[in-house]
Amino acid sequence: MSAVAEAIAEGRVGERLWLYPNYHCNLRCTYCLTESAPGVPRRLLEPETILERAHEARALGFTGVGITGGEPFLLDWLPELLAELAQILPVIVLSNATLFTGRRLAALEPLGGLPIHIQISLDSAEPDANDEMRGSGNFAEVVAAIPELLRRGIGVRVATTLEDPASHDPAELDRLCELHRSLGVGDEDHVVRPVIRRGRAAAGGMGVPAGADELDPELTITADGAFASPFGPTVRAGALDTDLLVTRTTSPLAVPAGALVRALGGRAAGHDARLGIR
Amino acid sequence: MAGVLVTPVEPAQAPLLARPHYREGGTSPLVSSLAHVPEALEVTMPFIATVLGPSAIAARTKELVILRTSARLECSYCVQTHSSVALDSGLSVAEVRALRGEESLEEAFPAEDERMLLGWVDAVAGTVDPVPAGAGVELREHFSEPEVVELTLLCAATVMLNRYCTALELPASPATLQRLAAEGLL
Ligand code: SF4
Repeated sequence: MSAVAEAIAEGRVGERLWLYPNYHCNLRCTYCLTESAPGVPRRLLEPETILERAHEARALGFTGVGITGGEPFLLDWLPELLAELAQILPVIVLSNATLFTGRRLAALEPLGGLPIHIQISLDSAEPDANDEMRGSGNFAEVVAAIPELLRRGIGVRVATTLEDPASHDPAELDRLCELHRSLGVGDEDHVVRPVIRRGRAAAGGMGVPAGADELDPELTITADGAFASPFGPTVRAGALDTDLLVTRTTSPLAVPAGALVRALGGRAAGHDARLGIR
Repeated sequence: MAGVLVTPVEPAQAPLLARPHYREGGTSPLVSSLAHVPEALEVTMPFIATVLGPSAIAARTKELVILRTSARLECSYCVQTHSSVALDSGLSVAEVRALRGEESLEEAFPAEDERMLLGWVDAVAGTVDPVPAGAGVELREHFSEPEVVELTLLCAATVMLNRYCTALELPASPATLQRLAAEGLL
């Protein structure tokens, strides 16, 4: 077994390979790590590149693929790519779920029943509180989209990002849990995590600090290189953060994977799971 | 501050593999430029440390090669940085000046082994023409085979660094410039 496969099997490096196909987004959330918005540099990964990395990931011992951004569903080719990725490894794709209407929703039909989960952001059961962070009308779009996806046999997870989960009003969180259950998403598919103080959140003085000591090592591929966490390739004042950069080389994938194991894979499994946001 | 082509990577942004190369209070312009490509930094710095750093060959001898090569390649970063290192390695101000081409090399280096070595450096690094066949034969009178290999690799590695530092317009550190000013070597 290679050093990379061993580190993954022992939980010293995350079992999922993350990829950033793009950085642009139709929203402009107040805590966005990547300063995403409609007009930002897109930093695109081509679908062929993503598929090649996924094949390499499986050969190296990774057991899943994660797609994040930016809003990946702004890319017209994403549904087709997800169907192909799902033939290689189980997929989770992060989305704001505001684009799942009309032709974009229809394009998701073939994904039903495949090992694909769409993880959707929903921060509050109160429309105003949710929309304050994520933009006007977001709540209504999300609660409309979730049942549409489930109806098509597509797995849905709900991710809630809170300024401080520990001190958050439990009654409000209960109302949110009632809401996701009523939409058809069980508790096992609901994650609550803190705002990470990087990107736009750092500029706004929000969230908890998150560097190499706080985050689980999870190999993450972007157009700018390979990073040690999906929370690594963040953008602040238009500049890419490099504190969690592993290598500029992303192909062959064994190069950044090996470097990540050298840099962080010596830590005991779980030692860095403090933030619980894998 | 690095030159116009590349901004130095600040300590707070140092990538994981680059962090061991960042010392308390800052790092060299060479490291803070290479940190943009951490996997290159990770192998380049140990290579430089092995080839340019302490080894079986005396520090004085190695600095003759490094400073003379850098002067021939007109790399101001390496000339300035290694003028300071050369002083630390026991060379006199007059010898440093001679290696930089500011005073007579013959007068500053009367010993035959050092003159032979400087001639070899000029043959290897002083021109883009091929190194003349047989140019290093006399070296073997004073240096063993492993020493010839090490000194030639040192000269060639210095050429690589000279071209890198000159192309990226890396500036010598303030501490180096202060030292050279005090010695009248700026
Ligand atoms: S947090 Fe997500 S949805 Fe919001 S702007 Fe950033 S990428 Fe877009």
